Amino acid sequence: MIYAALSAAEGKVNPLVPNVWEIALTLVTFLVLLYIVNKFVVPAFEKTYEERSAAIEGGIAKAEAAQAEANAALDEYKQQLLDARTEANRIREEARAEGSKILADLKEKAAAESARITEQAHVQIEAERQAAVVSLRGEVGTLATQLASRIVGEALDDDARSARVVDRFLSDLENEQSAGATN
Amino acid sequence: MIALALPAAPEEGGFKAPGLEDMHLPEILPWGADYGSGFGKQMLLVIISVILISWFFMAASRRRQIVPGKFQFLGEMSYNFVRNSVGKDIIGEKDFKPYVPLLMCLFFFILVNNLFGVVPIFQMPTTSHVGTAYALAGIVYVYWIYLGLKKHGIGYLKLAVVPSGVPKAILPLIIIIEIISNFFVRPLTHSLRLFATMLSGHLIVMLGAAGTSYMILEGGAFLKGLGVLTFIGGVGMGLFEVLIMALQAYVFVLLTAIYIQGSLVEEH
Amino acid sequence: MEIYGSLNAIGYGLSAIGGAIGVGLVFAAYINGVARQPEAQRVLQPIAFLGLALTEALAILGLVFAFIWGRV
Repeated sequence: MIYAALSAAEGKVNPLVPNVWEIALTLVTFLVLLYIVNKFVVPAFEKTYEERSAAIEGGIAKAEAAQAEANAALDEYKQQLLDARTEANRIREEARAEGSKILADLKEKAAAESARITEQAHVQIEAERQAAVVSLRGEVGTLATQLASRIVGEALDDDARSARVVDRFLSDLENEQSAGATN
Repeated sequence: MIALALPAAPEEGGFKAPGLEDMHLPEILPWGADYGSGFGKQMLLVIISVILISWFFMAASRRRQIVPGKFQFLGEMSYNFVRNSVGKDIIGEKDFKPYVPLLMCLFFFILVNNLFGVVPIFQMPTTSHVGTAYALAGIVYVYWIYLGLKKHGIGYLKLAVVPSGVPKAILPLIIIIEIISNFFVRPLTHSLRLFATMLSGHLIVMLGAAGTSYMILEGGAFLKGLGVLTFIGGVGMGLFEVLIMALQAYVFVLLTAIYIQGSLVEEH
Repeated sequence: MEIYGSLNAIGYGLSAIGGAIGVGLVFAAYINGVARQPEAQRVLQPIAFLGLALTEALAILGLVFAFIWGRV
């Protein structure tokens, strides 16, 4: 009614009077769009959201698991490091003990050796001295005999004389010896 | 009647401002004219807009990935905007989900149809024809009344018009005002707000363009200089129009959400 | 002097004044509220837009009447 009245009265376009076909077309197309969006678009987007939040939660769980694993590995590694350190200390202690033992052994051995060598030297010296004594004793006899015969051959009343005799004898002896040495 | 446009004196053969007649272009299929009206540019644009929107969202949501690509991200951003900042914030976190499709359709239908006004070739905001605005507001009107009746039964009518905590003495007056405001003015303003802003915005841009072409083609040196100014002004108004277009789509869908929420709450 | 045009446009312009002031007040209060309590924005936004809708209704009614009550 209004439509007719306004159209007739003005004979021109009244912008407030709707075109029925426009209303119908808009209704139909809008409902089609609503159907499409309701049926396909919104469920798809909502599903994406759910998947995404699930993925994020799953990712968080996975990250937590990885973190725990890493922590465990770290602990294990630290434990191993501690063990290794203890082991190394033990070995070092052992080596030190062993070394000192070896050193002591060596010292002992060296002392024994030196004692043995000293002993041997003593023995040898003793033996040589004995030999010297023996040979001296023999020679002293002959020398004494010679000396006595010489002394007896000369006059033995004068001290000076006898001293001279002894001196001469000794120098003779020396001469003999030096001659023997030069020869 | 050339309301809302500059008055002109056509009989002098001078400048003829563009009027409402220019909003109704010749029909593409004239043989439909026998049934009241033919198939005009506006109707074609409505159909194109529906095809565009459904294509965009189907394409954006078809290959879903957990980590979205650019295209999917754009779709999700648009969807998120309507879903969270309109639906979730206003209807409430608890039960906004069933209404998201309607809000989303309304927002993008209106946005695309508005933006047709600044797209070359299309060059016409579809919602500047009042039929489209009436249809959209009508859908919303029917829907929120239906929701209220479904939730509260017939008592919803009382709930909608009798505000709580009002003195008995002025209650009859309030009831009358509420009836007029809720059941008559509400759908009217809901549709006309969209329609009027689109129509007037488009008329202003058209006026700028028509004035520029008239002044530059037919005016003297002074008028040609002024024509440059009107051209700049027209372009500025066109850009401003884009803002208004997006804002009106937002306001329309926000009011829809508010109406839906209003029919869902227990107390008015 | 002759003036062309429609009185309806003047009438509509007058009716729009009230709506414009009202919308300005509504949004001034809204901005104030949000500035004081930013966390209240979600509560205030629907109220502000409902206020906008109600206030703007008058201006839109003016538009309707400008078109319906034609030239005399």
